[in-house]
Formats: sequence, C-alpha cells, structure tokens
Amino acid sequence: MEKVVKLQIDGKEVKAPAGMNLIDAAELVGIHIPHLCYHKGLKGVGACRLCLVEIEGMKSPVIGCNTKVREGMVVHTKTDKVQEIRKFVIDLILSIHPLDCMTCTKAGMCNLQQYAYEFELKETSFTRKKMGYPVDETNPFIRREPEYCILCGRCVRLCEEQGTKVLEFMGRGIESMVGTAYNKPLLESGCTFCGSCIDACPVNALPEADRWRKGREWEYEKVKSVCLLCGNGCGIIVSSKDGRIQKINTGEEIGSAKKYICAYGRFGYDYIESETRLKTPLKRTDGELKETTWKDALSIVADKLKKAGRGAGFISVAGIMNEDALTLKKLAKNVVKTKNFDTTISLYADGDSLKNSQTAIISTSDLIVLVGLNPSQWERILPALDASIRKRVNRGAKLIVINSSDIKIEEVAIINLKGNEISNLKGIAKALIGKGLKADRKLESSLKDVAITEEIEKAAKLIIEASEPLIFSSPSLFEASANIALIKGKVIAVGFESNARGIALMGLTTDGKTYKEMLNDGLKVLYAVGEVPLNKRPNTDFLIVQNSHLTELAQQADIVLPSATFFEYAGTIVDYLGRLKHLHRAIEPVGESKSHGDIFIAISKIMGATIKKSTEEEVKKASQVKTKLASKPFVRKEGLDISPNELIESINRSVIHGSRLLWLKEAVGATAA
Amino acid sequence: MTTIATEFAMNKDILIKVCTGTGGIASGGEAVLSSLKNAISSAGIESTFYERCSIHKVGCRGFCSRDLLVDIIINGEKTTYKNVKPEMVPRIVDEHIIKGIPVKEWAVGEEYYTFHNKQTKVVLAHCGEIDPEDIHAYRAVGGYEAVGKALTSMSPEEIIDVVKKSQLRGRGGAGFPTGFKWELGLRIKSDIKYVICNGDEGDPGAFMDRSVMEGDPHSVIEGMIICAKATDSHQGYVYVRAEYPLAVKRLQIAIEQCYKEGYLGKNILGTGFDFDLKIFQGAGAFVCGEATALMRSIEGKRGMPTPKLWRSAEKGLWDRPTVLNNVETFANISRIILNGADWYSNLGTERSGGTKVFSLTGKVKNTGLIEVPLGISLREIIYGIGGGIEGGGTFKAVQTGGPSGGCIPSEFLDIGVDYESLAQVGSIMGSGGMVVLDETSCMVNTAKFFLEFTQAESCGKCTPCRIGTKRMLEILERITAGKGEEGDIELLEDLGQYIKATSLCGLGMTAPNPVLSTIKYFRNEYEAHINEKKCPAAVCRDLITYSILEENCNGCGACKRACPADAIRGVRKTPHRIDPDVCVKCGTCFDACKFHAIMKI
Repeated sequence: MEKVVKLQIDGKEVKAPAGMNLIDAAELVGIHIPHLCYHKGLKGVGACRLCLVEIEGMKSPVIGCNTKVREGMVVHTKTDKVQEIRKFVIDLILSIHPLDCMTCTKAGMCNLQQYAYEFELKETSFTRKKMGYPVDETNPFIRREPEYCILCGRCVRLCEEQGTKVLEFMGRGIESMVGTAYNKPLLESGCTFCGSCIDACPVNALPEADRWRKGREWEYEKVKSVCLLCGNGCGIIVSSKDGRIQKINTGEEIGSAKKYICAYGRFGYDYIESETRLKTPLKRTDGELKETTWKDALSIVADKLKKAGRGAGFISVAGIMNEDALTLKKLAKNVVKTKNFDTTISLYADGDSLKNSQTAIISTSDLIVLVGLNPSQWERILPALDASIRKRVNRGAKLIVINSSDIKIEEVAIINLKGNEISNLKGIAKALIGKGLKADRKLESSLKDVAITEEIEKAAKLIIEASEPLIFSSPSLFEASANIALIKGKVIAVGFESNARGIALMGLTTDGKTYKEMLNDGLKVLYAVGEVPLNKRPNTDFLIVQNSHLTELAQQADIVLPSATFFEYAGTIVDYLGRLKHLHRAIEPVGESKSHGDIFIAISKIMGATIKKSTEEEVKKASQVKTKLASKPFVRKEGLDISPNELIESINRSVIHGSRLLWLKEAVGATAA
Repeated sequence: MTTIATEFAMNKDILIKVCTGTGGIASGGEAVLSSLKNAISSAGIESTFYERCSIHKVGCRGFCSRDLLVDIIINGEKTTYKNVKPEMVPRIVDEHIIKGIPVKEWAVGEEYYTFHNKQTKVVLAHCGEIDPEDIHAYRAVGGYEAVGKALTSMSPEEIIDVVKKSQLRGRGGAGFPTGFKWELGLRIKSDIKYVICNGDEGDPGAFMDRSVMEGDPHSVIEGMIICAKATDSHQGYVYVRAEYPLAVKRLQIAIEQCYKEGYLGKNILGTGFDFDLKIFQGAGAFVCGEATALMRSIEGKRGMPTPKLWRSAEKGLWDRPTVLNNVETFANISRIILNGADWYSNLGTERSGGTKVFSLTGKVKNTGLIEVPLGISLREIIYGIGGGIEGGGTFKAVQTGGPSGGCIPSEFLDIGVDYESLAQVGSIMGSGGMVVLDETSCMVNTAKFFLEFTQAESCGKCTPCRIGTKRMLEILERITAGKGEEGDIELLEDLGQYIKATSLCGLGMTAPNPVLSTIKYFRNEYEAHINEKKCPAAVCRDLITYSILEENCNGCGACKRACPADAIRGVRKTPHRIDPDVCVKCGTCFDACKFHAIMKI
C-alpha cells in the first residue's frame, strides 16, 4: 500500500501519495502551479523557475517540480512574491521568443502563450533579441526551430530517457541551445523520428514538419485509438479536420511523456490516401483487374466460397481487430464450413504461448528479463517495448538479457547471458531453486545436470531480490521462460503483430490446414485478409484479397475487396500486455471501403446465413481465458523463426511505401550504403 | 680553473631554487634553469658542484610581480634574486656562487620581505620552498606524518572532532564548516563513497588553488587521504581543469609517487585502509566549480547544476555519498592534524579558524598570492602586504570573491576579512580573488567586466541566469556606451534582485553581486554615465574625449606620428590639436606624449 501524506495547498486539504511532487499534488485538488520544464513522466529539473512556491517555515521559495509532499506541509502557490517571480521569468523568456502567436502553429496549445496571457504580458519589458538560428527542415517528420526554444529541456530528457539520446544542450549562456551532436541534421544523428520530442515541446520549437496551416489545435476532432502496425499496439490520439487526419500523438493526455509511439504510428497515416488505396472492389476480367460493384464482387465471392466449401481457406494477418476475427471465424466455420482458417501468428507463435501469457504493467516492474527478443527502436521491432524498458532502467529497474545474438538493448542490461537461451533458462531455474525458492518437483528433477555460471548465479540473485520481476519472451521460448515464472515473476510472450494475443484469444487458429499449408496445397479458394506477407500468388484456383491497398499480391488476385483501415472503424484489440484496447473511428472509410467484419457479414448474407455483428461482450467472453502456467520441458518451439524485421516490413509495405516513411527507409538505406 | 673549482668545493653547501610555477615558467623559469646548468658547467665546477650542491624547481611563492625569483642559499645564507633573466645568470654564478659575493643590485628589496613577513603561511608554507615533483622533499618537511598519525592512531570520529574544533570552513567560497560536512559523510552508510577535490578554479584573476596544486600537490593528496579515512571512503577524484596542465602533471607525478610509496592504493601504511585516487580533467567551464555540475561532469554528462534535494554527503557522485572540498581546504588538513585544532582556530577569528589564501591583484604595488589569518583587515592586506596603491593613486574599492563577489569601498577598509563581515558589506569571501581598484577604475565598467564573464559562463539551464544576466549586461553596455536611460539603474537593481532570488545555482544567485554592490556604493558613477554621459574615471571609451593642453604641448609631434587615425593636426614646435570627429579614442597619443599634454576627459 502506498503511504498517503496529508498537506495543505492554498488552504485546501490534499491527500497525496508519498513521493509525489507538489505540482502533481496540487493538481489533485485542481490547483495549477505554472511550469514549463516539468513534464509528467519526466524527472523535475528545476530549470524554468516558474513553479516556485512558498512553504511555511522555509526561508525562500522552493521549486514545486522537485519538492516532494511531506506530512503537514503548508504550501502557498499564489503569493504575491511567487506570482511576481513567475511574471519576471515569463517576461525574460518573451524577450528572446518570437511574438508571432497569430500565425504560430502552436497557438492555443502553447504553454508560454497561456502564461503570457495569465500574467498580462503583451510584450517583454526588456530589450528583445533574435538569435537568428537556422531552421532544420532536412526531414519530412520533425521541424526544428531553435528560435522558439525556451530551453526547458523536456525533449532532451525524454530523448535521453527512452535511449535515443539524439538531443542535448550545447553552448553556454544566452547561446545555449538544444542540438544534435556536431549540430548535424537529425537523420545523421541517429534519430528514429519517433517524434516524442514533438509531444514534449511546450512551444513551437519542435512541431511536425508539415503542421503549418494544417489547422489549429482547437479545430481538430480528437479520437482515442490504437496503432495496429506492430506488436506493441500503442495507444494514439488521432486529430482530424474536414474528414482528414492531420496529426497523431501518443495516447496519453497532453502534457505528459508517459507513453511512446514510433515514426510508423505517428507519421504513417499518409498511406490512407496513397495512390494504391483501394476505393472500389476489383475483379479480373480478360486477365485484367477492373473496377466493379460491391454487389457483383460479393456475389462472385459468395458463389466461389459456397462451391469450394471445405476446399476453401482463409488466411489473415493478426493486425485485424477482435470483432473482425470473431466474424471471420463465424464465416469460415459456420457459413463456408471449412476448417481452414489461420493467421500470420503461426509464422512466429503458437496460440498457447499468447493465450497463456499473463497480464502485467511495465511501469511498476523493477526487474525485466528479456528472453530471445530483440526490441529495437532503430529497427522498429517492438519499438515501444524497447523505449519502455529503457525508461524503466533509467528509473532504477534492472534488465537481464538472455539472447544468443548480440542485440542493441544489451547496452542497458545489468546482465547479458549469451549462448543458448534454453541452457541459460535452465541454469536460472536451478539457481533459483538452489537459493531456496520452491518449484515443481518434476521441474527440479529435470535440472540435475545443469551447469550454473557466475553470471547465472547473479541473475538468479536479482530475480530473488526483485519485487516484481517480469519476463518478456519470444513465443518460441515461452514455455521455457514460463518455468522461471512458475518459480517467481510473470511471463509474457510477445508477438510481432498488434492483435496477436487477441487473435489467439478469439480462437482464430486453424482446425484444419495451417497458414503455410494453405499457401501450397492448391486450395479451390484462398481468401487473404489484410496485408499478408506474400508477394507471389499462392497455389490456388481462385484468390480473393481483402485489403485497404492494392498490394503486389492483390494485383495477382481474382477478386480484390477494399477494406477500411484501422482509422476508419471501431473495434478492440488485446495488446501484448493483455490489455483490451479500444479503437474509435477517426475518419470515414475512403471510397467504398468497408470494415473487414462488415464484408464478412455481407458475404454470409448472400450465402444465406445471418452472422450478427460481433460485440465487445463476445470479445470479453472470448478473452476470459483462465491462464494457468504449468511446468513444461525446457525446449524451444521449432518453426517459429521468421525474421521479425522482414515480417513487420512486409505487413506494413503499403504503409511504408504510401507515406513519408518511404523517405526514411530510403534515406536510412542511403546512409547505410 | 682547477684552483677555483677546488676552492669552491672546499667551503660551500649551495642550494638553488628556481620558481617554476606557472608565473615562474612564464617569466622564463625553464630558460634560467638551463642557463644556470650551462654556466656551472662552463665555469668548470660541474664535477664538484653536484657533490654537495643542488638546483631545485620549486612552486610559486606568491610574489609574482617580481618573477622570476631565484633563491641562492649558501651555507644557510639566503639571497633572493628578482626579475632574473638568462643573461643575468653567468654573473650570478661567477660572483655569488663561485666568489661568494651576492649581486646586491639584483637582489630583492625590502618590499619582498614586508610582503612575506606580514603573512601567515599554512597552506603556502611549502610552496616555493620544496620541489613539488619530489615526494622526499615533501616528507623532509613533515609530509605524510599527518596521514601516519590519522591512519594509525586516530578513529574517524577523532579526526572529525579535530577538524570541527579547528573551525576550518570550506575555502571554495561558501564557507560550510568542513568538520560538519565530514561528519555527515561518515554518518551516511554506503558500500561506495567518494571524496572529491574541487580544483576547478575558474574566477578570472584567481590562482590560489592552481599554485597549491602546482607548488605543493602532496599536501592536497594528504588532506584527501585523511578525509577518506574520516568518512570511510575508498575512492577519490581530483577535478582539475585541463587549462591547468602543470597542475595536472604535478598531481599525476605526486599520485604515482604515493602509489609507489604506499600512501595510496591497498593497505596504506600497513593499516588495512584502502584509498584510490584519480585525476579527472574538466573541460574548463566556470559552472563546473559548482558541486553538482562538477559531479555531473565526472559522470560524463554535461556540466549543469541539478537542484539540491540532498546534500552531496548523502547523494552525490553517481548518487553515492560524496564529500567534496576545495583544494585549499584539503591542503590545510595535514597541518591541523599535526599541530592541533587549537593552533589552527587561534589563527583566525571566533567563527572562522585559520588562514585564507588570496590572489591580490589590480592597482596595488605588490601583486601576488598571499596567505593571511582570517580577521585581518582589508587595509592591512592592501597597504601592509600589498604596499599600497601602485603609482601613488587613491584607493577606490576592492573587489572580492571573483565574479560572484562585490566591490567594497574605502569606508569599509578596516573591517576584518571573514565570511560574515564580507557578506555584511555586500560581497563574499569566494575562493579568494581580491582586485584592488583606484580612481582610474570605472565601477560601471568593472561591473560590466564581471557580468560579461558570468553571463558567458552560465550553463544556460535556468531562465533567470541564462536570459537575465544577458539583459543586465545589455543595460550595462548601453550605459557605458553613453546610451543609458533614466530608470536603467532601477531596472538593473530589479533584475539583479530577481535573478538572485530565482536562479538554480550559486552562479546565477551571485552573478548580479558586482552590479548591485557597485550601484550601492558608487551610484553617482552610474548617474554620471547616464545623466551627464560622462565616465568619471575616464575609462569608458564612448564617454571620453581626448584633447591637447596647449600650455604643456611643445609641438614635438610624437602624438601625431603615433595616431593611427590621423586625427592630430599641428605645425612642428607649435601646440597640436586633436580633431574630435576623426579621433577613434584609442589612447595611443596619451601614452605617446611625454609632457602630459594629452587630456582624457
């Protein structure tokens, strides 16, 4: 239980958890202490000097961002003295900040603008100076405008905490600025273009590169949703205007740096309107794909499926929503009556590892064990997991990496166990038992001949000392990792697609042929849902491709059905940590495109069956799997070794090629060459 | 030749000491050293000379204005030569070393002895006396006896007790009682603790710590070892700026010698106590003298101060308990351990024990490094040791504490120098800078000079220091350029007070001091600049005009020839004139005229 401290702020009684700072504590009772450099989710550094407050019994004002609540404290946040100081600070900043609020992109969202308004400062009372810094416009993602920078350092701290470390302070005195090493463009500074700095910046120093005249903040319609482009399934907030998406931010409230999204999630949305976007169904006539009506296309599809029956097969990506998955399963199983329905999960995971994974919160874990996984912001493999782990490590958590290959995140690990993952896991289990932890007898006896190295010994000690150890494993190593969790901790298998866990829970795993088998077995009809990682037409008599974009595979299909993107309809997913997340419709589907679920329902209707739209209740029911770990032999599941980078790039090909992400891909390729 | 050499060898023990501190080297110390060796060899006495005699490099002895200083001690009889140049060496060797008759006209005069005799040397006792690169020389004067005593016969509590009773306070400027800091350091338990010596002396015109590190590095190391013992720490760093290459070199030599002789490393003097010491070279940022910025710098981060939620003694370097003291503080320790707390505290005042080293510079006759007991009056320092104002001018103010300090006017010349009394008159002790100003110093310009320094050295982290000091400087620039406006003084005062009240670290909190104290005591000078557009001290170029006083001018033409702007007109042997429209106010004519005919108003 967290200890609660009672204190008084501006005459109001406040109960705040011990360790909380005064800015956050005041907010609990609706009192705003002005601040610029403090940012929720980052440590307070006391740079801006706006959050000075007076505490009874203390000689001079203290900073609220870095002062922790104490029992009986009496705090005054609005005395004449501190208000005067704040006005002075804002006055000083205004003397070096452009006063072009009328055209500034950040207007309405700018913290400095707000404070200038509150302190009635139309102009600075000091001499105004322009520094004359050049604008960095060398990339299509992040614009750097040092002239606006107020040196709060939020971007610097955030970039450092998440491990990218691209931005740092440079220079001294008035000429201090935030820059990159040797002041090179972001691309040459190891920037991943995640845009975290954009969300952190309180002024207009780091806007999206294309934000100018894309609408003011108050004109946007904002919708909470989830990015479905990789296995992290990050929360996002989608801002749209006039039916078009204008920008995407992290799913966290404004003014907080607690969440992360990568360049895909933030900047990939251009693909919605890219050239290859499908707006109508297509059918092959005279060897060519030509536009057709939904009615025509669906009746052909229904006819083919009906005729094929058991000879039909469905393959899907795991980036579709739970409701889509449930509907698809009903269509295949109950209407078409085939056992062949499978997803791309089978390329990297078995359903059980995902289903049996536990639920956990990274932000409270004090020890993270990474088994056989290579999360990397730079390669965009589970980038949010990489960023979250690095942030935790920065806050004092420890990381143990168990991986036979050299991976980047090792650099922040306290222990790196190289060599065979299975032997290392066995060693840890044995060491834990050796240190007195209880384990299944069967497990214990299987470890007789296992060698324990000094490093393994240390790792076991850390697990014992930790209060919340959390193991993230690749699905192939889940069972072996779960053996450790059975002794102590929690274990989660991490898939590479956003709804891998949801798909497994919804039961969209084959009763007949597997994904791979369906590609080669010459099915009568093969129905591919989403951007499956295939370039060549599989061996089938009739190929249906249902996707938002005309992919290479779709070009070889007999029928192409235009599906809506995840921005265009609502639904749910279960993310890798086991959380049910909601997607909301941000914009209308482009052209005639429809959600996957709606297409399945329409088909079944033509086939003479009624499938009801899947509801959240159904999803919740399906998700309620009682996870019970059981000790299993220490083995690695074979056949699950697809390269994560290739998979992620392949399922997002239309996103990458249909957006400014292509610039990044090509630019990085060019720098690498 | 043979006779001379034989005669020489028969009757002499000769010790030659050449100052090779930074000042000494700058005045040709190394060249003099080699010409000494050459002269000895060409005099043919080389073979016998080195049997009984020796030449030593020694550190700075403080009287830098007379460098290069060379001591020649024959049979205990010491003669000190001043302003020695290589070409003077053969005569000194011939007349003094060989024939035994000192070259009187080159020897130091009375002022050299007054300068030294009025001081009390504790920290500087061995500077200029012993070879800083030789641990044996240090041991010969009692070096490392204190470590022996502390490690073998004293408990950490006993050491702390002595330091507390000695009333030693941090010599870095803030004056925190050293013993209390160590006590806290001992009380906090941790498997790893650090001792750090702050050698990041960065004030313009200050060279106290530099001279100690260069002239007596072992005394610093010895203090650190004792501190480590007292606080149960086993790892230390000396943070020295890379701009002090000689200090780095000599500390490095000293540390290596200590490891060799068993004063550092494992099991020191067989007592089972371990202490490792490393040098960390700073990149030369003034703000890194601030403890938290210094620690961030050692951690490999940008040297920026962090809010002090904890005392460093609780959470310092890498979040470990850390005791950080200044060079001079550590250099005092061994003497305190050996001579006792009472001896030390009796040297100073009731609240501040011991002595303090100051670098005395500016318009004073005897500039240099001095060490005086705390409580001594400013007058005693400036007129006694310093010999009064150079060139017979009038004392105007003394600026103490470096760029964070203030200017003290003549009415306070008799206050005793200690932490409290300096603070009372609006200045600080600081690390020990002392700049004497006379009537030719403009107070506005002086304030501008120090503020230029601090605003350029601000790390840029907190708003008031980053932007505020720059805005203050702009106002001062405006005033000294004759564009001051009414209300500027009040604006400066406001800005200064706010910056002091709101800045994150000591740099910003003290940066306005030179301005505020000069406004306080010399407001009339500010007013003259603003209202009359005049600089009373005739320093601010934009506010002065040069003209020629007809009755003094004999028309020699020296000024005309010297003028780079061709602004002076006149026929030979008749008084000349300066065309004010052409004059660039460079002052070349003023220096060129031998008849005091050029006036600066």
